[in-house]
Amino acid sequence: MKRNYQLPITNDQFRSAPRRPSQLVIGNWLLVICCSLLFPATLNAKEELVTLPQRDSVQLTIYNSEDLTLVRERRTLSFKQGNNRLQFSWANTLIDPTSVEFHPVGKDAQDALEVLDASYPAESHEMLIWTVACTKPAGYSVEISYFTSGISWSAEYTGIVDAAEGSMDLTAYVTVHNNSGEEYENAQVRLVVGVIHMVERIIDLAQPRQQGAPRPMPPAELEELERMAEDGINEDPGTGMAKPKEIQKAGLSEYYIYTVEGQETIPNRWSKRLRSFVVQDVPLKTVYRLEPDKFGPSFTKVLEFKNDEEHKLGKEPLPDGLIRLYKDAGQGRLGYMGTLASKYIPKNEEVKINVGPDAECTLKEKRLSLRKKDLVLDQWNRLVGWTTVEDFELEVRNFRGRDVEVEIHRSMQGKFEFDSEDAWEKHDADTQKIHFTLKAGESRKLTFKVTTKNGENAR
Amino acid sequence: MNKRMIFTLAGTAALASVIGISRPTTVEARIKLATLPDKEAVVVRFDHPNQVLVEEERTISLQKGVNTVDFSWAGTNIDKGSIVFRPVDVNSKVEILSTSYPPGEAALTWSISSPDARSEKFRLSYLMANIQRETDYRAIVSNDEKTLTFRHYFKIRNWSGGTFDSADFITRDGKTFEKGLDQGEAKRVLVNKWDKVNLNKEYVYDLTRQYEGKVMTDYVLKNTKEMGLGAIPLEYGKVRIYQDDGKGTTAFTGEDWGQFTAVGDDMRLNIGIAQDIKVEFKKMVNDVENRRGNVYDTNEVDEYEIKNFKDSEVELTLVLRVQGEWEMQKDSEGYTSFERVDNETIKFKVKAPAKGAPVKLKFHYKRLNNW
Repeated sequence: MKRNYQLPITNDQFRSAPRRPSQLVIGNWLLVICCSLLFPATLNAKEELVTLPQRDSVQLTIYNSEDLTLVRERRTLSFKQGNNRLQFSWANTLIDPTSVEFHPVGKDAQDALEVLDASYPAESHEMLIWTVACTKPAGYSVEISYFTSGISWSAEYTGIVDAAEGSMDLTAYVTVHNNSGEEYENAQVRLVVGVIHMVERIIDLAQPRQQGAPRPMPPAELEELERMAEDGINEDPGTGMAKPKEIQKAGLSEYYIYTVEGQETIPNRWSKRLRSFVVQDVPLKTVYRLEPDKFGPSFTKVLEFKNDEEHKLGKEPLPDGLIRLYKDAGQGRLGYMGTLASKYIPKNEEVKINVGPDAECTLKEKRLSLRKKDLVLDQWNRLVGWTTVEDFELEVRNFRGRDVEVEIHRSMQGKFEFDSEDAWEKHDADTQKIHFTLKAGESRKLTFKVTTKNGENAR
Repeated sequence: MNKRMIFTLAGTAALASVIGISRPTTVEARIKLATLPDKEAVVVRFDHPNQVLVEEERTISLQKGVNTVDFSWAGTNIDKGSIVFRPVDVNSKVEILSTSYPPGEAALTWSISSPDARSEKFRLSYLMANIQRETDYRAIVSNDEKTLTFRHYFKIRNWSGGTFDSADFITRDGKTFEKGLDQGEAKRVLVNKWDKVNLNKEYVYDLTRQYEGKVMTDYVLKNTKEMGLGAIPLEYGKVRIYQDDGKGTTAFTGEDWGQFTAVGDDMRLNIGIAQDIKVEFKKMVNDVENRRGNVYDTNEVDEYEIKNFKDSEVELTLVLRVQGEWEMQKDSEGYTSFERVDNETIKFKVKAPAKGAPVKLKFHYKRLNNW
């Protein structure tokens, strides 16, 4: 067993020392192994050092629904026979102290090592000491895991719509934002799509807490999720030029896990955007809609597709994020169409992107007439019931050089009857809708009568 | 091999690059620019009603392997999330591997993989704020007020922080003009001109537009090909109207805001008050009838006496409004035509003879079922 016995060194000295990549100092936290044979008792004595092993690997699992990242890192440490004391500290980071765990990796290590206890020194919020019993001295791989706040990820999409608006090339991106106070070099990055349940915020747990306050356990479901999510990473083929990294997607219970191929380095306070997928020629439908509940009061152009196989998608849900649409303006140039802040899109769900009113397809409504009938007077000759009959006209005009689809929702209030010779259908209790195709350069007038009973007539 | 290049847009739309071997680490370590790659094309597009899209083409010298290219835009108003960066050649073997965003900087770094050393042309597209646009029109009306020449101007003002040495500016209707545009500079360009556009001149009495009851003079342009327009929707903008005075010059006769006018619609422009035409309103009958409890009808006769002091007959349009349920009575008279525009609105056409001879419009209607 190799031991590097060095002069005593304090945490402050560690922090002020210049950082070297080979050190175990990562950002502002540090791991120190203390030998219990030499320094068996007090905390003051324990800062005797020790080895500075390289970090073998680090894995970040980042959740987009919470400010939460699970960090798992592996190092090879030398253990002696008997009790070993390991000190772990994380000053100036956003690590949740209640989540820090130590696991031997591999059967040999698990057979030889046993964590006897973990103690949290009263004088430091950002430190813990494990006592690890070793039955067979050797170097073993261990995994240290913890939750940290400050790392997040988001999805973005760019769609390039062809000139005829019949299809689009859709590129999805994921962007990782690191504001954790820590730089993670060559990390394996996994992104979790889904809404998890948390009982406390990691950022709150990362702050110093009152002495004696209870320490909540990490959510069991997250641990379970992590254990289940172990999957292989595509190796870089190592031939030819580098390609954009594959992002593998796998379902897991109510969640999806995106695994970024290879490793990524994300310095503190940087963000990094990676391509998640590209799908060419996603079939697209253009529908002009008047649906005030969903798209506001204007008659707007809505581009639609579905997250399913028919639309060359549907392999996984699309996490919430901005969808930016550009149109092919010819010669490879782009024109901006619009942006939708999309919610999570499950597989097989429709996506409707409102790109705003279009001067080339317009709608006007007017009330042609109003009549009142069936007036009811009570015994004191006061009006207590009446019925209105209103005739309306909607005119839709298509100035485009192509056929368009139109869908109009028209809501009424009160106890009404709706009558029209056009093919309206009931959408809900208060709303009628009609869907039709309008040929290039044509217009269509829709008329309908609304009879509304009021007062006693409505009973 | 990792090759690093830096482009900047600091205060200018020009890009600069630097060649160096580096990797993104901390802000302090980031190297700034050196040589400028050739700028080959800049396009500024206004086809979205609220956003301006800028596109630039740059040829970048890549080396085999992974190249790092920085793009920064300090002092300009680029929407970072909107940036699209692609090789111009759709079959290019070059790949954009990732995009990194440094903290606290208007900048990003692309990691670009190239199969060999080459010069590759890229196109960079992004939304840029604070490039203002404005549409205005100038109409030269013929002396007989039958036709006009209609000029459509597009004005841009650049508050984006960037400078465009030379760019193609493309309007919403696809017109392109090439100009330079400095920060803070404005340019106004003629983008369309239509000659011999047919013009309808209307005299209009409409209390919702002129509450004192004065008669307005409107020019009505129908945005159709038959009338000499109809090629594009007409954007909202100020229309300044001049008239050929028959002596080789023009006189300014008024201005109005032209509302957005879809193809097929009318653009109505008020050029002023027609003071030679007067309308006097009188309520001749205002009776309540057919009482049923608190419900009643009204019987009303409105009289409009019109005097035209011009030397020739004119046609006056009276736009009248009655709220609620109502019916026009058959003994209404004095009009040449009427149109019930909608439930509340009726439009009468009345011929007014020359030289002040009065003519009366009798509008008899009943408002029903009031309470």
